[in-house]
Amino acid sequence: MTASAISAAHARSRTRSWRPAAGHVFVSGYVVLLVVFGVAPTLYALNLAFTDADGRFAGLANFVRTVQDHRFLSAVGHVATYLVLWLVTLTVLVLVLALLVHRLTSRWYRATLRFVYYVPGALAGASSVLLWLFMLDPSVSPADDLVRALWGETFVGVVAPAHLPWIFTIIAFWTGAGGWIVVMYGALNSIPHSVIEAARVDGAGPVRTALRVQLPMLRKWIVYMLILSLAAGTQLFVEPQLISQASFGVVGTDYSLNQLAYLYAFDQNDFNGSAAIAIDLLIVALCSAGLFVAKGGLFDAD
Amino acid sequence: MRIEHLTRAAIQVLLLAVALFFVLPMVWLVLASTKSPAGLIRDNPLSPGSIDALLTNWRHLMSFQDGAVLTWMTNSVVYAGLAVTLTLLVSIPAGYAMALMSFKGRRLLLVVTLVVMLMPATALVLPIFLELSYVGLVNQAASVVLPMSFFPFGVYLTYIYFSTSVPGELLDAARLDGCSESATFARVALPLAKPVVALVAFFSFVQNWNNFFLPYVMLPDSDHYPMQVGLTQMLAATPTFNPVVGANAEVQPPELVLATLLSIAPVLLVFLFSQRFLVAGMTAGATKG
Amino acid sequence: MRRRSHALRLAITAAAALLAVAACGPPNPAGPAKAKGSSSPYGFDAAEQKDGKLVVWVDSTRLDAAKAYQAAHPGVQLDVVTYDGNANGSNTLKTKVQLFNRAGEGWPDVVFTTDNNTASWASQGDDAFVAPLDKGLLDDATLGGFAKGALDVCTVGGTVYCLRNDLAQVVLWYNKKLLDEFGYAVPKTWEEYQALGEKVAAEHPGHIVGTAGDAWAPEIYMWGSECPAGQITGAKAITVKATDATCARAAKLMDRLVANKTMSMLPLFGPDFAKNQGDKVLMLPGPAWYGGAVFQGTLKTPKGELAVADALHWAGQDPPVTGNVGGGAWWLSRHSTNLKAAKDFLTWVATADAYQVELSPGYPAHAAAAAKWIKKQQDSGYYAGDIAAPITAAAGQVWSGWGSPEFSQEAVWAKTVIPAQTAGKTVESLLPEWQTAIEQQAQVSGYQVTK
Repeated sequence: MTASAISAAHARSRTRSWRPAAGHVFVSGYVVLLVVFGVAPTLYALNLAFTDADGRFAGLANFVRTVQDHRFLSAVGHVATYLVLWLVTLTVLVLVLALLVHRLTSRWYRATLRFVYYVPGALAGASSVLLWLFMLDPSVSPADDLVRALWGETFVGVVAPAHLPWIFTIIAFWTGAGGWIVVMYGALNSIPHSVIEAARVDGAGPVRTALRVQLPMLRKWIVYMLILSLAAGTQLFVEPQLISQASFGVVGTDYSLNQLAYLYAFDQNDFNGSAAIAIDLLIVALCSAGLFVAKGGLFDAD
Repeated sequence: MRIEHLTRAAIQVLLLAVALFFVLPMVWLVLASTKSPAGLIRDNPLSPGSIDALLTNWRHLMSFQDGAVLTWMTNSVVYAGLAVTLTLLVSIPAGYAMALMSFKGRRLLLVVTLVVMLMPATALVLPIFLELSYVGLVNQAASVVLPMSFFPFGVYLTYIYFSTSVPGELLDAARLDGCSESATFARVALPLAKPVVALVAFFSFVQNWNNFFLPYVMLPDSDHYPMQVGLTQMLAATPTFNPVVGANAEVQPPELVLATLLSIAPVLLVFLFSQRFLVAGMTAGATKG
Repeated sequence: MRRRSHALRLAITAAAALLAVAACGPPNPAGPAKAKGSSSPYGFDAAEQKDGKLVVWVDSTRLDAAKAYQAAHPGVQLDVVTYDGNANGSNTLKTKVQLFNRAGEGWPDVVFTTDNNTASWASQGDDAFVAPLDKGLLDDATLGGFAKGALDVCTVGGTVYCLRNDLAQVVLWYNKKLLDEFGYAVPKTWEEYQALGEKVAAEHPGHIVGTAGDAWAPEIYMWGSECPAGQITGAKAITVKATDATCARAAKLMDRLVANKTMSMLPLFGPDFAKNQGDKVLMLPGPAWYGGAVFQGTLKTPKGELAVADALHWAGQDPPVTGNVGGGAWWLSRHSTNLKAAKDFLTWVATADAYQVELSPGYPAHAAAAAKWIKKQQDSGYYAGDIAAPITAAAGQVWSGWGSPEFSQEAVWAKTVIPAQTAGKTVESLLPEWQTAIEQQAQVSGYQVTK
């Protein structure tokens, strides 16, 4: 295919672009769902965040009120600590594990490890409430010695505030990392052998190949993983909620910002305050995601 | 040479340690379902119980609220199945178009999708509830199936796959050969996209299966609960987690463990059968470079 | 493809609807559809009455009540929904009711809850959910049949909003066999109890006389000590004096016994307690439901060992008072379109022998049912000695000064006191923090706080 042919194809589509292009037909179904279950609810939440209970414009009042809540800043601290731990461990471990598994020579061994790493991804929500209650309870945990040595003799001691970011990181890693290892592994597979072979001929060892060749080619996937993990991390909800339930409330239900938003809406009947917190979260997530996107070139159609 | 051996050993240890971390809780879960309530506390956490205890637990589980567990499992299968079908019909063409076709609003669509993905779910649930309540769908299967079939993650997955793994030249060639856009998609792109279809189907199934918040809000009737919401119901009927239920508690911890096991079984099965597709298949599209 | 187009049509309708709702103007706090202008014989504007299914929400334990009602009334169309009963501060009911309020439909007709916080949030304001029962809906004979103080948690501003299902008055449970073996007398006051604890620590170390590891510890020790940690003085006003001398004396008692290890800090229903201390329980101050749930259910105390004594009180207390841990209640929706059937259901489950005496696991709040229930327990032969007299006496002694605000006192205690206590601090030193935590939680819930 020649360059002129490509540009001809592009030119043709450009001349058509102000009429509904074929692309529009392809995305139409998704766009409907996006509008109904994504855009419209987001706009509604925005509207809530800037109005009061009677629907009058309230400026930043909802934001000011929620920020001044005594639970707000501590929740910010909790989420920030957790995010740093979670994103760093996730990125490092997922990439290292995917690269290592990918290098294994035994096909059977590779498949088994992938399966084993992914299996916990099947557990979430209520399922992990139960499981992690037992895993973290020194009296029944199969890893009781480790739990005791790291965190304490009783369950209440284990879930002390200082331990929680680590505990949430571990739970999130347990349920979520396997999926990403599988995705990264698949992405590694799609790098042509010739490229790796060329690097080897140039005298690059496995580490150098990984750093110079494989990781740069995974860039889009890594950015994607970071954005989604960041979004999931700022929206930390299930883990503290489940630990709270399992500890009979020793860990409060206002540990994370998202829990606080939930409390505002459904405990205090203050949907405006709740929306304001959600918008705070969205802004933070958007800024960070924007940074990743700019660095990672996620939107380039190539 | 010795250093290389050491490194290799260290790598093996790391891989196995991580495997142990992932698998130990699962092993415990299986073993715990075969124990009596007393045995669960008394015995070694990693010792097996007995078939008898397992059968007793199973019987108790099935009699909980007159077999509600089976209803919940059926509901979960229906909701997740319908939603996956819809998701695939909608997401694959959309991701394809965003990656390989140029049309007005492509970039806007990508940005909006991303923004919506970052929006906290707690904030979206109320407006969605109001929408569905307005059209009278609350407490019906559609009230969870429709929102679940909106799966931006899948669209992005497809988008990234097509933009990294399928050469645009191939499609341009097809178009120049006189294929219409839909024929190009159906005859050229779709066969190449099998791995990503499997991937999207799988992730959307898992996410739908485990979705708690949406059905919790949309379905007030306990006969319509999916398994995840049902599980919390069982949790609240277990004295270890909710002392108020009192002496006649219907659920003991091992039965809850068994229910948990039951609730994850379909996802495990799906993974087992599709994993060859999911991973090995991804090499198929790798012609770029 | 057909399904898809159907779905799309629905989605488009929804989108159009949403634009109408969301894009402009105020959010529409769709209030209940009230039958305007109707005279209100029940003290609230009832919805237009229709026949139809009666929607009832119960927790899984109270499913038996709905089934028993159906068996006794085969003609009634009942739609029974099970939910978690609002257990452990889950707030399920509140969440759902707020959604229904927004949607303007969907409320259940009758609801059972296990918590005591419902009256405060569900009875007030424009979006009130529960119906007043003593303004014409129920007669005085029905309401008067409940034990003294039983309807306190149902009452806001003098109006009764629920029928109590069971009472959870705190009494003193003890192991008669062990106590006789050790040669101790049953304590009457908290002072004697503390002295006994000291003696047990010295003479029989390892045995315990109480637990403080659960969220309801304040409801046993602080409530019984008349600690004014949350007195409701108006619909949205609360007085919090958690550092009062009455609170301090209970705190000192707990600290002393926790220090000499006769008071366990393990959660009662956690696996550790049954495993390590289950057979070391000499006595436990605790609610009426401990007999079945803790001793019979969890600890498996053998038949003929367990006995009940009068609730402990402080030496100077006149009259003697005690605490209360839980006890469920039945509520009626003011949006019900089937009030007659709902009322019949509500009254039946809270008072009829067929449920309250035959099936209920807890001590019935309805006095006549309670007398028969306790006799049935006594006749089972499980208990050593008379349990009827002390439990019945304690039913009327629950101190009325411990309010049931919108928020859960248990949750505040669990979050503030228990972790610090586990880390080695004393309850006495934690009282100021407890005070602050209650104040903050009250303010968050919109209360006017007086210190």
